[in-house]
Amino acid sequence: MLFIAKAALGVGATLALSTAYVFHEGVIRVDVDENRDGGSHVHFWVPATAVSGGLRVVPRHYIQHAAEQSRPYLPVIREVAKELEKYPDAELVDVRGPEHHKVRIAIHGGRIYIDAVDKENNIHVSVPAETIADVANRLEDAAPGI
Amino acid sequence: MNELSRGILRLSAVLVLAAFTLLPCASLAQNSAKSDQWIHVRVENKDEGGETVRVNVPIDMAVKVLPAIKHNQLHDGKVHLDCAHLDDVDLRAMLDAIRSAKDGEYVTVQSNENDVRVAKNAGYLYIHVTEKKHVAHPKKNAEGKEATSTNPGHESKVEVKVPMKVVDALFSSGTDELDIVAALRALSSNGDTELVSVKDSENTVRVWIDSKNVTD
Repeated sequence: MLFIAKAALGVGATLALSTAYVFHEGVIRVDVDENRDGGSHVHFWVPATAVSGGLRVVPRHYIQHAAEQSRPYLPVIREVAKELEKYPDAELVDVRGPEHHKVRIAIHGGRIYIDAVDKENNIHVSVPAETIADVANRLEDAAPGI
Repeated sequence: MNELSRGILRLSAVLVLAAFTLLPCASLAQNSAKSDQWIHVRVENKDEGGETVRVNVPIDMAVKVLPAIKHNQLHDGKVHLDCAHLDDVDLRAMLDAIRSAKDGEYVTVQSNENDVRVAKNAGYLYIHVTEKKHVAHPKKNAEGKEATSTNPGHESKVEVKVPMKVVDALFSSGTDELDIVAALRALSSNGDTELVSVKDSENTVRVWIDSKNVTD
């Protein structure tokens, strides 16, 4: 009985620790709703650690290809993400137009929120700033000097 | 007084001393955090259902990010001017003259179409332009024939107020470059300032800096 209790405690502690590790960087959340017939509705959330960790196991040529495509923007993305970590709460861009058209880029609690809403589309994305910097760094490391 | 009492007294003295030493530092740290300047841009379209654009960017962030952007004429936080002598006007020489001159009104143009005023006062360069749009009204003259007369219609006003040290920083890197990063650094050391204000019948544009991270 004591053995089972110890084993349960071990499994429980491991689960708690691994859950804490998986979610320590936060969650990437994407919600896309197209308000028309046959429009797509995409809702998913992924632990940010899965993205950073996933980049380690993706075959190198895929990473290099992604780095080639995004190379001109990587230094800017990395700097912006790094700087945004210093400003945990701010409304960076807010555009409001006719018919509830709205675009908003804000940072709250170290997460970047991008919302784009109009009559037909409703898009909400939130990503931890740390994850963006991490991905930019990994892409640059994977393909230096491209 | 026993050992314990002395110990407590010494500890209290150390804590009081530490508090007096560290409190000013904490206050300084708060002040430095408050000195973080933001540049704000607000564009409002006055039409029915018109757009409103609000952009708020920390100047420190712009200073760090700009050198990473390489696009067209922008490199290393500097904009390369293809022709420093724009229309045979030597901008640098003109700015040198303004910098060394006393405060005053340098240019005043008043015409039917535009009013222009360039002045320097208390370390700021002011540029005010008022464009007068005349509206044509058909009128019948004494002979009953139609003639058009023009009345002052909607005006558009542009007001620019730039600290001279920002202008200096802008032209600090070379004859054919505008050093945007240096200008932003100079701006961040300046207090709250309204930089640009444009008002016409359709749009209102405001660019200003302050220490708030949100638009009013």
